[in-house]
Amino acid sequence: MERDTCRESDALHERARAMVRSFERGAPRPEGFDALAIDLARFQAAHVPGYARLCAARGVDPSAFARASDAPAVPADAFKLASVFCFEDRAATVTFRTSGTTVGARGTHAMRDVRTYDAAALVFGRAMFARDLIAPVPVLVIGPPEAEAPDSSLAHMCGLFARAFGVAESLERTFFVRQGTLLVDDLRTRVAALNRTDPVAILATSFALVHLTDVLGSDVLALPSGSRVMQTGGFKGRSREVVAGDLRRTVARAFAVDERAVVSEYGMTELSSQLWEATLVDERALPGIYVEPPWLRVVAVDPESLAPLPDGTAGIARIEDLANVDSAFAVLVPDRVRRVEGGIELLGRAPGAPPRGCSIALDEMLGAREGAP
Amino acid sequence: MSRGVDERAADVRRLLDASRAVYEDRERIAPEIARSTGLTLEGVLYGFSCLERDVADGDVRSLVGGAGDAERVHVVLSANVFVAPLRALAVARAASARVTVRPSPRDPTLTRELAKAAGDDAIAIVSDRDVASVDRGEVHVYGRDETVAEVRARARPGVRVLGHGPGMGVALVSRAGDLAAAADAIATDVVPFDQRGCLSPRLVMVEGDEGRGEALAVALHERLEGWGARVPRGELADAERAEATRWRETVRFVGRVWSGAGHVVGFARWGGALSVPPPGRHVHVASLLSFEAIEAALAPVARHVVVVGTDDPARLGGSVPGGVRVAPLGLMQRPPLDGPVDRRARSRVG
Repeated sequence: MERDTCRESDALHERARAMVRSFERGAPRPEGFDALAIDLARFQAAHVPGYARLCAARGVDPSAFARASDAPAVPADAFKLASVFCFEDRAATVTFRTSGTTVGARGTHAMRDVRTYDAAALVFGRAMFARDLIAPVPVLVIGPPEAEAPDSSLAHMCGLFARAFGVAESLERTFFVRQGTLLVDDLRTRVAALNRTDPVAILATSFALVHLTDVLGSDVLALPSGSRVMQTGGFKGRSREVVAGDLRRTVARAFAVDERAVVSEYGMTELSSQLWEATLVDERALPGIYVEPPWLRVVAVDPESLAPLPDGTAGIARIEDLANVDSAFAVLVPDRVRRVEGGIELLGRAPGAPPRGCSIALDEMLGAREGAP
Repeated sequence: MSRGVDERAADVRRLLDASRAVYEDRERIAPEIARSTGLTLEGVLYGFSCLERDVADGDVRSLVGGAGDAERVHVVLSANVFVAPLRALAVARAASARVTVRPSPRDPTLTRELAKAAGDDAIAIVSDRDVASVDRGEVHVYGRDETVAEVRARARPGVRVLGHGPGMGVALVSRAGDLAAAADAIATDVVPFDQRGCLSPRLVMVEGDEGRGEALAVALHERLEGWGARVPRGELADAERAEATRWRETVRFVGRVWSGAGHVVGFARWGGALSVPPPGRHVHVASLLSFEAIEAALAPVARHVVVVGTDDPARLGGSVPGGVRVAPLGLMQRPPLDGPVDRRARSRVG
């Protein structure tokens, strides 16, 4: 039984990776998005009891799915409350957890085969952030190494990028948050010693960049020409909040790079794929507009009916990720989004309900809510 | 102390006289409160049943005894249930011979009516007083955490600020408890103010197996359906409906959901985390094999809990954090007028 499930999962993983590979090669997609989405939804309904319950409660029969949008999306909060995994826990080869806790639990995303995550992250990351790099470059991560954050999908992704895009370097010369401490002086030293002819890739969380630029003040850590900075994640109460445009300007000034070389990535623990701003690779692209890989689709849905909304209308995000093979291919995220020309505009967290009494509001209870990895 | 206990108690009693007068006149002012709160007219009239009118001497003396002594008290009311101004004024009046109150800008009706009916020269309504202009005494602020924090930040040095933030109620049904009776009582606690009070139960923990928890959820759903016909829920704001949808979908994943015209009950076995529903007659029922684990189960939300309702107070023992009120099921919304509802209130001198 379990062997059959593994075989089915393996085949779905292979189809997802085939879609990733086709993008990498510039080849046509091997199959339609909805065809794989429907098979994923049926597989997950058969093997994730919670998803079967959700389908039943919504009155939908997985065997009757005709398009991806027929399949209910799993709320991101479900990852905090129950297993969203087609297998027993012991089958997981990697388990990512959200950084914050919500009413007693961290969101958990277990994976049996992390190769699909890796392929999706690498191929689209390269396309949006490293397309023009013909040789490995120094990669500096303003974050911890994977060994210090083994359940962080972001640390995993940064480690992946450092190995794929970077020249071979020691941990000390690559990671500049160690044991929870931002090593500003080490970063200064590292930047000062860089070969000025080779571009550099910086990978960082937004809150780490806020801390760094606060410490730097008016100092500039000038990077070589062609360098770029990836920023990701929200602030999660770990630093003061900074408006995206202001942070982009501040970071660009601090590293002496063009603002268009400061690129935001949007991902979350509950997903296996990421969206990116395209400012580095498309001169027409606007900051704040995120591009989906072909194996991921963001659908703005009505926050109450969950029905898809027309392009240009803001709603909450239903994210369909074909690389989420063994968990939930469609995830409902309380982020407001709008499809616009060129991609998806992220409009921030859905606003909490206005206070109409002294009952504590959910957003107040959750405090600084986590969202990204 | 410039005033004796009896004088303070008399000042509180004068407010209770006013409360009775306002209650008698409730049909007149209910439409205005319905407009400002979003409750239905029936909801407002039912909410009036929670307005304290007849209070035991012992409770008044407790309130007076705990109120302290302040040269002046300025009361800031914001997000509260509409009957809350009575208790806020009583606590302030017990503490001081000079009280100013800034009513909730959105819902000033009951404060205004109480002050008018009391005819107490010591109470003055001030609609736009800046907290920073209070130069001595105390500020009692009721509202969201951010409102309390703002008032603390603006208060002058030497001014004592007592903050009363938001909260929620939790109901506990013991293994020996009668489920039908518990469902009756909990529904009675959920309906007032459409569950927007800090005493309103949003979580129900049932001792026993999943079958017992599910049975309570079904019974509660049926009771809330009945209440909905008699006291319809008011309109929910867009954001409230959106939060309710996300919570409902989450509970559908982890358990089961029963939806009515004006309520939703969700059920799941407790598995280490809680799915707290938004206000608006949404209740999450969780089964817990033994109340021995109740402290751990409630730990994630413990700091938000103002009241625990239970059918077996004796068994709770030391499991309930200090300052949390314990009430019988069905009386969670009717704590004695013996001080602030929220006993967790902390004061700080600015």
